[in-house]
Amino acid sequence: MRGYLARRVLFAAMLVFLVSSAAMLLTHLAPGDFVSITTGERASPAQAAQERARYGLDRPIVLQYLGWLSRAVRLDLGDSLLYRRPVGTLVRERAANTALLALAALALATLAGLPAGVYSGSRQGAGASVVRGVSLVLLSLPSLVTSLVLVLVAARTGWFPVGGMVSASSTGASLAGWWADVAWHLPLPALALALPLAATLERLQSQAMADALGQPFVLAAVARGVPRRRVVWRHALRASLSPVASVYGYVLAALLSGSFIVEVVTSWPGLGRLLYDALRARDVYLVAGCAAAGSLFLAMGSLVSDLALAWADPRMRRG
Amino acid sequence: MARFRSLPAPHPIALALLALAASGACGRQTPAPAAPPAPRELVSSIRAEPRGFNRYTGRDSVTETITHLTQARLVRIDRRTQELEPWLAESWSASPNGLEWTLKLRQGVTFSDGQPFTSADVLFSFRAVYDPGVASPIGEAMRVGGKPLAVTAPDPSTVVIRFPSPFGPGIRLLDNLPILARHKLEAALDSGTFAEAWSGSTPVSDIVGLGPFVIERYEPGQRLVFARNPRYWRWDESGKRLPALDRLTLEIVPDQNAELLRLQAGQIDFTQTEVRPEDYATLKAAADAGRITLVDLGVGLDADSFWINLRPGANQARPWLHRVELRRAIAHAVDRQAFADTVFLGAATPVDGALITPGNSRWYATDLPRHPYDPAAAAALLESIGLVDRDGDGVREDGHGADASFTVLTMKGNSLLERGAAFVRDALGAIGLRVDVAPLEVGALIDRIERGDYEAVYFRFLTTDLDPALNMDLWLSSGGAHVWNPLQRTPATDWEREIDRLMHQQAATLDHAKRKALFDQVQRIFAEHVPVLQFAAPRIYVALSTRVANATPALLRPAVVLWNPDRLDVREGKRASR
Repeated sequence: MRGYLARRVLFAAMLVFLVSSAAMLLTHLAPGDFVSITTGERASPAQAAQERARYGLDRPIVLQYLGWLSRAVRLDLGDSLLYRRPVGTLVRERAANTALLALAALALATLAGLPAGVYSGSRQGAGASVVRGVSLVLLSLPSLVTSLVLVLVAARTGWFPVGGMVSASSTGASLAGWWADVAWHLPLPALALALPLAATLERLQSQAMADALGQPFVLAAVARGVPRRRVVWRHALRASLSPVASVYGYVLAALLSGSFIVEVVTSWPGLGRLLYDALRARDVYLVAGCAAAGSLFLAMGSLVSDLALAWADPRMRRG
Repeated sequence: MARFRSLPAPHPIALALLALAASGACGRQTPAPAAPPAPRELVSSIRAEPRGFNRYTGRDSVTETITHLTQARLVRIDRRTQELEPWLAESWSASPNGLEWTLKLRQGVTFSDGQPFTSADVLFSFRAVYDPGVASPIGEAMRVGGKPLAVTAPDPSTVVIRFPSPFGPGIRLLDNLPILARHKLEAALDSGTFAEAWSGSTPVSDIVGLGPFVIERYEPGQRLVFARNPRYWRWDESGKRLPALDRLTLEIVPDQNAELLRLQAGQIDFTQTEVRPEDYATLKAAADAGRITLVDLGVGLDADSFWINLRPGANQARPWLHRVELRRAIAHAVDRQAFADTVFLGAATPVDGALITPGNSRWYATDLPRHPYDPAAAAALLESIGLVDRDGDGVREDGHGADASFTVLTMKGNSLLERGAAFVRDALGAIGLRVDVAPLEVGALIDRIERGDYEAVYFRFLTTDLDPALNMDLWLSSGGAHVWNPLQRTPATDWEREIDRLMHQQAATLDHAKRKALFDQVQRIFAEHVPVLQFAAPRIYVALSTRVANATPALLRPAVVLWNPDRLDVREGKRASR
């Protein structure tokens, strides 16, 4: 087990290194740079050259990359060109917010998607068809549309705040008051993220449940007269969890690194929004920092996925 | 709710008895003290995170907006009337030749931390803005003919500014320069770290100024909260110290659709941008229902622009792209009213001039050569330069038999620009020119424009100042913003040479009427040679919640409402906190 964990940590380190390096170099190769984008036509060529020199963007790409790399191995990700703040601080602040949002969305999606999948996979008839239909609709809706519809509903009804993470009035509140305010703001973005994910989990779980119900050990249980409810929720469910568990970690990682549309629309101050701003401004150091955080989430997600799979399927534990 | 409404109204005497009983039950012998008034507070939005709090190093519009709230200038231009008004300088006088200006500073003004404001702060601000290590984005606007102003301070309340040459706008250019606190920033300037000073990680308590507000807190990714500066130096007519508001919050809302929904839901009181044409109907309905106020500011200052790359060496295989007849044909080929109706959904005014829209009434010339919609005239112009449809396929060919086609770059994701470029493409298709529209991400687009790697572009200029002498880099052939052929060592054409001469002359003329006459000539030459074509200028509307009082929105970006923040107020009767 110790060797396995060591291999996974090494894999995670390699992944973070490769992804952040690739992100930085690709951002460099994209047309335009931080100075041309943030100054546009307003800076004279002399001013632009001076700004490039100030940020070190006048050096060859290889030298910039090596300079960044030599700092990054000491866990110094440099300063953001856009915000003139340390990248590490910015990423930590936002990653925590994104993690909170992603975990809430995952919990919602799991609570809704898995039971719905069990239901639609174990039943025939109108109810199961409705569940499948709703899932297909949710899967076909882009995140942008889902987010905007939810924001519109919130604006019209006043049930939830239209955006943001905490109210301006929450400053100075107790810790419990602050968390209550966050919980008041969380449902809208969490739901926007959770709805398509719940549909994905429903579809996976439905298929896996249908397969599991055809397995010989389940048929034997039915033949022995075990009640159907028990067959489904006790025998078939655990056997059907493997496909879902195998993607669970990746789903979590995708949530963490792919929530930027929801974060932009709902003004959630997360990592996705930070990456979006960094990419638009060609802030190479911030892009690399955000990519490093995203790939770290991916590595952690795959580890969680493997552990969940081992729990769900004893054969995996035996290797 | 209906049940309560159906109850009969209680008798006044019964109410009085109840009140008496209640006061006795509470054991109070004296009337309860009046509740403190609800704070006067407004909420607005910004679409991006502030990149810092130092306008001397920040080019972005958010930093500029924050500067309007927290800093002050020596003089201010009233954005509505374009008149110059005293600000930190309460009076001034000029030498007869207009080269030397003496400004008297207000007495008793202090920064938000209590330190007195003196001429030393003005000297420091000039030193910082001209410091080569700072490379301030406003440094260029503070030069005349590329030379800095010479500034001296004979005493703590007097500043003498000497211009290197006669300059028509005079001290209007001081509106660009927020006066910084020497006691806070001099050490950073001396040590060469001024560019890093007042960044996003600076404690907000360190950021002081002479503006109506101070930054109370900055919650990254969420909001900026401004509290009234208790030491602000302006008073209203009734003798009450300004600003009128106790607090102003700028929520960070990156998505414009979400911003609009927040405005409609009453969660923000106004935005920093004008209403998009596609949002007008929704907001008009809200205005008709009394939920918001829609302010019509008239014709905007900026119209989307189309230009062809006229740099030497560009488009060598298609020399006809450099011909003025082509540009005039394009000007005749576009039905500007249809353009306004289609691209701006009717919320625009057709324009056919020289980059100055009717919105800039102080400088707009009315009697310019025009290019009315006339496809036949356009076709004749194209034929005069050898572009004829020889094979009858609907597309003209040049003398070598190659199709008369070119590509127009525009900005991806901007619906107005994409619609405008598509309209131009269709209009030119109707006269036999094949145009491909290539929307590019903004970074790639600017990169292509800077490198001159394009055939034509459809994009938007943003007016940074209404006075043409403060936009010389656009008009002069040597200017970096002379987009169709920038940074020329010597003027490439006779008409550009003439524009250079007229622009230098008008910038050095002190009399406004003479300057206007000279600039009219510039516009006339420009309209004849049409290096940049415009088709419609949007009509600008600003939406405000009905809570907002004393707002004076103006056309000049970025702070269309917040350029005049100290009188902003909450309408009486609508002060309850949200």
